[in-house]
Amino acid sequence: MSQLNVVGQSLERPDAYDKVTGGKGYPVNVKLPGMLHAKMLRSPYAHARIVSIDASRAERLPGVKAVLLPKDVPQIKFCPVFFVPVQAPSMVLDFDVMNGERVRYVGQPVAAVAAITADIAEAAIDLIDVEYEELPAVFTPEEAMAEGAPQLHDEAPNNIAKTPFFEYGDLEKGFAEADFIFEGTYETQRVHTCYLEPRVCVVDMDRQDNVTIHVTTQHLFGTREKLAFALGIPETKVKVVKSPYIGGGFGGKLELTAMEPVAALLSKKCGRPVRLEQTRQEDFITTTRNPIKVYLKTGVKKDGTFTARYAKSILDCGAHATHGSEVIMVHGAFGLFFNYHAPHQKWEGYTVYTNNMIGGGYRGYGAPQGSFAVESQIDEICTKLNLDPIAMRLQNARKQGEPHPFNPAFTLATYGLADCLREGAAKIGWEKARRRDKGSSGAKKRGIGLAVHPVWVSGCMGFPDIYEHSGAIVKINRDGTADLATASMDIGSGQIATLTQIAAEALGLPAGAVRMSSAGDTDNLPFDAPTHASRVTYSSGNAVKEAALSAKKRLLEVAGSMLEVSPADLEVSDGKVSVRGTPSKTLSVAEIAQRAESPFVQMTAQGPQPTVMEEKGTIIGLSSLAPKSNPTPCAAQFVEVEVDTETGEVAVLHAVYAHDIGRAINPKAAEGQVEGGFQQGMGYALMEHIQFDPETGSCLTTDFLDYKMPTAVEMPRKIDSIFIETDEPTGPFGAKSLGECCVITPAPAIANAIHDAIGVRFTQLPITPEKILRGLGKI
Amino acid sequence: MALYKLKEFHAPKNMQEAINILGKSQEAEILVLAGGTFLHGLEARGLLSDVEELVDIRKAGLDAIRDDDRGLLIGATVTFSQIQTLPSVQRTPWLAGLSDALAYPPVQIRNTATIGGCVSASCPFFDVPTALLALGATVMVKGGEAGERQLALPDFLAGLFVNSLEPGELVTAVAIPKCPGNGASAFIKLEGNANDLAIVNAAAYLSVDSQKTCTEAYVALGGGVAETAVLSDAARQILIGSKLDAATLQTASEAVTADISPMSDHRASAEYRGAVAKVIVRRTLERAIARLA
Amino acid sequence: MKKMLTLEVNGDVHELAVELDATLLRVLRDQIGLNGPKKGCDSGGCGCCTVHVDGKAVYSCVCYAHSFDGVKVTTAEGLSSGEELHPIQAAFVDAGAVQCGYCTCGMMMAAKQLLDECPRPDEEQIRHGISGNLCRCTGYAKIVDAVKLASERS
Repeated sequence: MSQLNVVGQSLERPDAYDKVTGGKGYPVNVKLPGMLHAKMLRSPYAHARIVSIDASRAERLPGVKAVLLPKDVPQIKFCPVFFVPVQAPSMVLDFDVMNGERVRYVGQPVAAVAAITADIAEAAIDLIDVEYEELPAVFTPEEAMAEGAPQLHDEAPNNIAKTPFFEYGDLEKGFAEADFIFEGTYETQRVHTCYLEPRVCVVDMDRQDNVTIHVTTQHLFGTREKLAFALGIPETKVKVVKSPYIGGGFGGKLELTAMEPVAALLSKKCGRPVRLEQTRQEDFITTTRNPIKVYLKTGVKKDGTFTARYAKSILDCGAHATHGSEVIMVHGAFGLFFNYHAPHQKWEGYTVYTNNMIGGGYRGYGAPQGSFAVESQIDEICTKLNLDPIAMRLQNARKQGEPHPFNPAFTLATYGLADCLREGAAKIGWEKARRRDKGSSGAKKRGIGLAVHPVWVSGCMGFPDIYEHSGAIVKINRDGTADLATASMDIGSGQIATLTQIAAEALGLPAGAVRMSSAGDTDNLPFDAPTHASRVTYSSGNAVKEAALSAKKRLLEVAGSMLEVSPADLEVSDGKVSVRGTPSKTLSVAEIAQRAESPFVQMTAQGPQPTVMEEKGTIIGLSSLAPKSNPTPCAAQFVEVEVDTETGEVAVLHAVYAHDIGRAINPKAAEGQVEGGFQQGMGYALMEHIQFDPETGSCLTTDFLDYKMPTAVEMPRKIDSIFIETDEPTGPFGAKSLGECCVITPAPAIANAIHDAIGVRFTQLPITPEKILRGLGKI
Repeated sequence: MALYKLKEFHAPKNMQEAINILGKSQEAEILVLAGGTFLHGLEARGLLSDVEELVDIRKAGLDAIRDDDRGLLIGATVTFSQIQTLPSVQRTPWLAGLSDALAYPPVQIRNTATIGGCVSASCPFFDVPTALLALGATVMVKGGEAGERQLALPDFLAGLFVNSLEPGELVTAVAIPKCPGNGASAFIKLEGNANDLAIVNAAAYLSVDSQKTCTEAYVALGGGVAETAVLSDAARQILIGSKLDAATLQTASEAVTADISPMSDHRASAEYRGAVAKVIVRRTLERAIARLA
Repeated sequence: MKKMLTLEVNGDVHELAVELDATLLRVLRDQIGLNGPKKGCDSGGCGCCTVHVDGKAVYSCVCYAHSFDGVKVTTAEGLSSGEELHPIQAAFVDAGAVQCGYCTCGMMMAAKQLLDECPRPDEEQIRHGISGNLCRCTGYAKIVDAVKLASERS
């Protein structure tokens, strides 16, 4: 790797200035002339037949401009998940925007109103009279699969939406070869991504079905495809405008919901733009991380080598499968079985309908639920067999150079798990801390724990039906700067910073010379898969690099013509093009771009002079490509906790992460990702939980008073991030990905540390103070 | 969630005007607004949709503070932040429990929430009422048929989100009597995160004589251990006359069980609240004792 | 139903006809057109809406606007005068404390209250000073760094 000038620098994020001075670029700020405001009426019942809807009182309310009822909405079923085709064969096609016959969860939209103010719209939905005939509801997957349970979808007997499985080797033989067999059931809860900018859209749909939408989304093209399908119109009728950024996503804005088509249809009815902003209460019941119950059985030799692994996972997808049909796959593959070697493995997954809210995407996408089981059980094995938790993991882990477990066409070209474990352990003082006194006197006991995520993704190559290509446009300006345009959304994780740094490095421009275009939409930007799956730095980064190199090639052609040398003899550095070995022959990028865009015939003192035709034309580079691979990042995490054995409170004192991310494009931004990932993972481990009334199925945790996530006070005072730079050969300047490993490891690491502190194993998240006291036998 | 039926937003300029408005509007659904932080919680849950008139008393001259030998008299609209700045609250051990309780909420709440609003809400999950109970606070009330009343805080907190105000009545101030002799107080809250209602909280006031024998003791608990914050007489009886040794504290802490009936909700079970109430009370007593001169 | 209301916001006096039940947040965003105060939960739980009223940080989403007739409001837009960033804004940029940025303006207003009262806070004071503001991106680490940096620079 040659000297890097821009990549690897913790440059100021280009979007930071705007965000500290007010933050103009969020979809929530969009206001259009004549805009109306919409609200949705939602079902109060978990399961009911809609007998009738009478909206006449609402229609008469002054200020109401239109009422939308199920009969006004195309009754089409599809998969609303952005990153797959709308009727992807591998997904369950059961979602509809506004079902006119039946509601299947509390909060399902049944009608909507557009009015001149949001208050009037809200008052109007209270005036819509809906007669329901209540049906028996079912709230747990086990009950839903049982005989005689209410059937939620005709095409899904026993409420099973999907049952993937895989098997290799001979499971019985593997267990027979084991010296010990460990079994356990590990349960995770429903949690929310808690992006802070609510879901909101402003839609203008005219009577010719031309749609323009501003929306909080992680995927412009997915929004276009699904919205067009839901409206029954051609995809190119829909223009999704790229907001400069959105206020968080974390996987929570990765599918179409009723909001967008409802606003569109109301707009068409009224002939005016319509804004629909969800309340925090609505956001809490729109998407979640699916709860999964995992039964895990592992056979091991005395020395800790796995001989066989069997798992059965039951996922509660709620009323519609949506992400649940993909989350289960990622869970089985990357959450459970790709992480370690075992000669004999078998897994069965069940995505099961209930009358709960619909699940969704959330950072880690099935892996946190699997990792909690696997990494907790490894700790149990180590305790029982007196094995070293680091050595045990490395013994079963994959090695650099091995084929990728999912797609043998790829290899683990870079794989720094051993370095992650070694450096992380050194940082937290693992050896010493494991041996110390836990604090035998006093109420507070300290413990230390670790978890790893050995095999993760930088995108989705290999899975069926998942979009993975990216595109970019790089244009060199006459002042020597460049503009970059991509459809990749910055959801807060720093895409603007990393992609502009990659472009600057590839072009040979100085830091700050590449600007991310703040304008663009699905009409004029090349397709990009979503901001998800830890893919943007790697996959979009590769596309950006390719577009930049293409622009650079043209830049050198023009420069070569100007300097009368072969482009092959030129190099670009810090905004200057020079002849290799002859530093005196230099042109600035600005001079070259000016020449390229100057008029062909130029007036001089000697009269009009024609210039060189071949030098003319804006210097621009385009790309649209799938990446060469999806290399594997990995991470090791160590935490130290203190457990108050009288109240059950757990304080996390210190967290250490070591990640193999190939290369940190912007180390400070990368640290920020990791630190934020710990907040989400720690909340998952200890406190976050969307809860429902067990009788009615209505949500009990609809604001931040009832849904607890860590504040600055609960967070550890120290979060150390170590980046192992393995220089991935297929990555842009050696980069792999980072986004999700940091969310996957905290729950098992914390559970393992709690076990170390008090000797009690917790297998259900969240590990609340109450569960700790129960575990200690105090209540 | 809007207040669809709201017709009037009163901002009386003095107490009498406020009382007159309340007196005149007895037929209407009228609500007094002080800091307003609690009302918004109710509004967001759709519980205020019948309110027709709001009376914002923040400019009604109810923000005076008297801090002298008799104790503290805090006007109803004095904010938590303002109480925190009082020298006696910052420095005197007997008021330290109030200072503890005021420090828990985030600054935005401390700057907005008022002492009058806080007691009037009669919310068992609040912190300041628990601290005030242990300090023997009295609620000063004006208006209505009685014209003027003083209610001991335990009598004022009538039930879950219910206070003892009669129609037309208004809380004007909260009085905390000066505790004689060598006294100290403390407050501890168990919460889910730093911006939370209490799962359990406890406050204690203790005074001792020159022999370090306990001469007075109040132990208060809140946070869903009952429908309102409550005093534990059982704990009080054990503490008074004792030397406040570790064994007595343990016994007194366990005795609170007799005076509470914890509730179960999605935040914690009754069993958990009951179990940690004892722990929190013991720790609160220890903290108060550490502050005794 | 509307009633007149006077607010001085970032130095400008506004006389507005405002709904009786409108919150201060709604007036600042929808009537005055500011972006800094943000709606995250609309129930006093996330802190995105934090502004200063007469120099004190409040959740503007739980304040009825008519309770604040005649007050001076400062939002993130009013932190800096002219083109120079306020030291807190500059520190948030320099420390890498801004990710999605949705919490940022409220977070800075909480930080300002803290630094106004306590110019040299220790880490515990900083963490408690921003405990009423949620962030989902940063884990607060770089936000705490930013407040320290702003304190050191002033």
